[in-house]
Amino acid sequence: MEINDGDEDEFGFSRNYFLAKDMAASGKKSTHKLSDINLVDEQELRAEASNAEPKHEKEIESLMESYKSLYSKWVFELRCGFGLLMYGFGSKKALIEDFASTALTEYSVVVINGYLQSINIKQVLITLAELLWDQLKSKRRTPSRNLSKAQQAFNTRSMDDLLAFLDGSQVEENDGVVCVVIHNIDGPGLRDSETQQYLAQIASCSHIRIVASIDHVNAPLLWDKKMVHTQFNWCWYHVPTFAPYKVEGMFFPLILAHGGSAQSAKTAAIVLQSLTPNAQSMPIDNLYTVSRERFLVSSQVTLNSHLTEFKDHDLVKTRRHSDGQDCLYIPLASEALEKLFLNYD
Amino acid sequence: MAPSATPIDSSPPSTSSSVDNNLQPFFVLHKASSGKSERKSTGSAKTRRRIDLSPSLQMNAKKLEAKRVEECDDDCYVNLRVEAFEIVWSKIESTIKNVLRDVNTNVFNEIHRWVCQSFNTIMSSRTIAFHEATQAFPIITDASSKQLFTGLVLTKNMEFVDDLLTFEELGLHLRSQGCRVANLSSLDFTAKSGINGCLRSLLRQFLMASLDAVDISILASWYREQGNYGNPVVVIVEDIERCCGSVMSDFILMLSEWVFKIPVILIMGVATTLDAPRNILCSDVLQHLNPCKFTLGTPTERMDAVIEAVLVKPCSGFSVSHKVALFMRNYFARQDGTLTSFIRALKIACVQHFSMEPLSFILGGISSEENEQVLQDGLLLQMLLKHAFDLPSFVRNTTGEHNGEIFTHGLLEMKKLLKHWGIVVLCLYEAGKYDKIRLLDLLCEALDPELHNFRTSDTHTKIEEEPCPFSSNYRCHQQYPVFRKGGFIGRALRKVRDLPIVQLCKLLQRWEELTVDVIKIHEKLKELRPVLKSENDKSSKEDMTNISKRQASRSQLNMEDTKAVYEKATILMECMVRDYMQPIESIPLHEVFCFKNVEKLQSALIGDPRRRIQVDLLESHIILRCRCCSGGGNTLLPTMHDTSIMYNLAQEHGDLINLHDWYQSFKSTVLFPRSKRKQKSKQSPSKKRKNLTEPENLSEAAIQARFCRAVAELQITGLIRMPTKRRPDFVQRVAFGL
Repeated sequence: MEINDGDEDEFGFSRNYFLAKDMAASGKKSTHKLSDINLVDEQELRAEASNAEPKHEKEIESLMESYKSLYSKWVFELRCGFGLLMYGFGSKKALIEDFASTALTEYSVVVINGYLQSINIKQVLITLAELLWDQLKSKRRTPSRNLSKAQQAFNTRSMDDLLAFLDGSQVEENDGVVCVVIHNIDGPGLRDSETQQYLAQIASCSHIRIVASIDHVNAPLLWDKKMVHTQFNWCWYHVPTFAPYKVEGMFFPLILAHGGSAQSAKTAAIVLQSLTPNAQSMPIDNLYTVSRERFLVSSQVTLNSHLTEFKDHDLVKTRRHSDGQDCLYIPLASEALEKLFLNYD
Repeated sequence: MAPSATPIDSSPPSTSSSVDNNLQPFFVLHKASSGKSERKSTGSAKTRRRIDLSPSLQMNAKKLEAKRVEECDDDCYVNLRVEAFEIVWSKIESTIKNVLRDVNTNVFNEIHRWVCQSFNTIMSSRTIAFHEATQAFPIITDASSKQLFTGLVLTKNMEFVDDLLTFEELGLHLRSQGCRVANLSSLDFTAKSGINGCLRSLLRQFLMASLDAVDISILASWYREQGNYGNPVVVIVEDIERCCGSVMSDFILMLSEWVFKIPVILIMGVATTLDAPRNILCSDVLQHLNPCKFTLGTPTERMDAVIEAVLVKPCSGFSVSHKVALFMRNYFARQDGTLTSFIRALKIACVQHFSMEPLSFILGGISSEENEQVLQDGLLLQMLLKHAFDLPSFVRNTTGEHNGEIFTHGLLEMKKLLKHWGIVVLCLYEAGKYDKIRLLDLLCEALDPELHNFRTSDTHTKIEEEPCPFSSNYRCHQQYPVFRKGGFIGRALRKVRDLPIVQLCKLLQRWEELTVDVIKIHEKLKELRPVLKSENDKSSKEDMTNISKRQASRSQLNMEDTKAVYEKATILMECMVRDYMQPIESIPLHEVFCFKNVEKLQSALIGDPRRRIQVDLLESHIILRCRCCSGGGNTLLPTMHDTSIMYNLAQEHGDLINLHDWYQSFKSTVLFPRSKRKQKSKQSPSKKRKNLTEPENLSEAAIQARFCRAVAELQITGLIRMPTKRRPDFVQRVAFGL
């Protein structure tokens, strides 16, 4: 009987799909253009977007409040070795961080912002290892051999070594647990399969507990059965908040903005802000020598690493000049650039 | 790596504001507060929070309930329950491990024998080619001597996840027999890291150190070391179908070149068929393999073995209700059919139980006879009784005094009843095996509390009271639902009647073994023994000699005896089912041990983001519980959440949504109530107008901004795809129907 239900679901799905296709085909396809709308200026649009009056603030607040009764259950499940996966419509950033800062004070908590474009997993691992090391050092009664071995600097060690350290069994349970909050584990910075494999490996470490959120309806497709059943070990929680996706949506283009492309002065500024000071203040069109003269970089390698960062975020593009040399350029309008620097300084 | 690139260095977590943090790829939210003093302060923070919040909220009944639960949680020794969970789960986990190891023992031993044989073969050919093997580089010209002994382990299971543990155990088994073992998985055979990836992993496991330089010669010198030399080296690859073929080929070629220096024996897990290596590896590599086939048990076999050990025999004390068992069976059958997922479901059920049931901490000491001790603790006892006398099953069955003794008695009684239940289920399973009945199915039926409900209304006397349950009037199956339904228990019982006499003997022998602790049943079975013995002897004699006329007439007589034996066996089984198989849910105090909440289990186990997120959007007003939007029935109201309005509107489009049209309908929804645009509405307009706020004075820019934000939010949820260059004016719908 229940199996029939499943068939029904599937049937319903395909029927809906073909109905939708049909609708598009038979009903005269609308030929209206976006440009038919009297589009307002992009700056005005952005201003309005940031000023927009939120709806249902009170209800959203009480919704969030209602989840607080679940906190103790969540902690219980974390303590029992499960990971928590939050889903449902609305930004869950505030909810999870509130949970972490009120109910998880006994543990160190690291937050990963998966909605950002690029995240260095190795750096995260190093930080986790350092935190755990601190924790073990302060709690440990008798020094053990394993610990002294771990003393060497974490940032020179391999991923495998770091994972092995986090998965160690030196200390009884809860004393040495670091919680990792991952906003948008399905976000652009974490979506590739290699990163997901690493996250799964991190999640399966004995000293690590994960609290993560997903927003994409197809997020579970990121994980195979090994990851789901043996590594992440999720307890799912449906916690719709209806809170606006303020930070999460920052990098998404405004569909009605001219061109609609992602590139804009604002996102550029955001990327620049999130870079390290040395990388931020480097004039992009200058070459290595200039940077070196100004003590911004000390080697070609460092310069290249900065440039790669810029390239990744489309702040800089390369073009082959007629003489065969690679030339760097910034794919931003000059007004946008001016504005950016005015704002940024 | 430039150290300056560490984001964490540039922004000390203590000083960074939240805005900065939002743009950091990652940051430290806080460090662990140290020691018990902090633990205390957490508690006080909790209470403070509760006090702060309570006046600001309208306390409806549900919240009060939640608060009560929270307070109860504080009181009820959460730590004790966490500990109890750990004890119980580690008991279950180790039981499962042992069971699976037992299931695999034969194959493991077989593999070990083959490893030894292969190793001896390598070593003997090695002595022949000794002068070659001692050269700096192995020079082997004969192709046959470069053969790599390869065990192909058929897992009989497309899902490799169930076999992860198997190969881990196999590794441990071989290691305990003196082999040097490394376990590799498909992650070590990726095109990206190439041959270095698997070699690095190999060195890491054998040498217990990560090296910068990876070379097979390092492994060769490791093998020459004291303690390693003279032992077989086994490399286990868990899932060859998922490995990168070219890397695998290189790996095999390399190992076969070195096989004299390092006597490697390869074991590969094969999920599909024996053709798998041929499909993955090229032919010249295949030449180097000297394969041998092994087969593991099927998932169903393992499943039944696990269920027997964990849920039927006394194991941890934790149990699941009929409904939960049904859910878990369907989950196993429909979700992915892996034992791993079933065990995970059980673990989630377990953690849900311990997080919700205040008295569950008793389980921590139930099998180690510590519960007596628990009852000595005055405070605990008080709390225990307070809760115990709230349990519906306990209240129903006790009258008068509320004291620890009744409770302890209840616990002991329950233990006894559960043991009996398990024994009867196993007896049924033994019979059912002849009809290929699976224990999981039997379990689900045996847990059904309806069984007992019928029984209590039944006026028949119990087996204990009636000295001879063999009298024909004792048969009650006509009224007893279990026997009537075409269920599994009924099938198992019928099978008893249909068994050949030899098998019946075996079955009754098994029953005798199983019921050793239940004297009454055991005695009855013993009574059957002599009758059967003679029957059995006769039947075997009859097989050998031709039946003469005289014998035929005697066998006529025997026929009746035999009939009587079958009858008695069946009746006995029926009585066992009726009198001894009391499902846990009909036993007082079962709430403490038995997890019953299917909904909780389901929602924690299977997230359904695709459906749930859409429902969130389509019915936002139900979740938000706001007054302003719920009055409209199916009509879209301007007060609704923007993204919700947009997604509702999107349902009216085909697979492509014209942005212009979408915007216009959004705009009109936001500006004017839907009822004004569409004249067809069920409610009277006057009533509707009351509920609605006046259309706001919205600027075009504001509406466009809201539209943009809603589109971005839908994009985040993955429900729409953005316009392409080819179709700049359309977005694409992704989900159709829930």
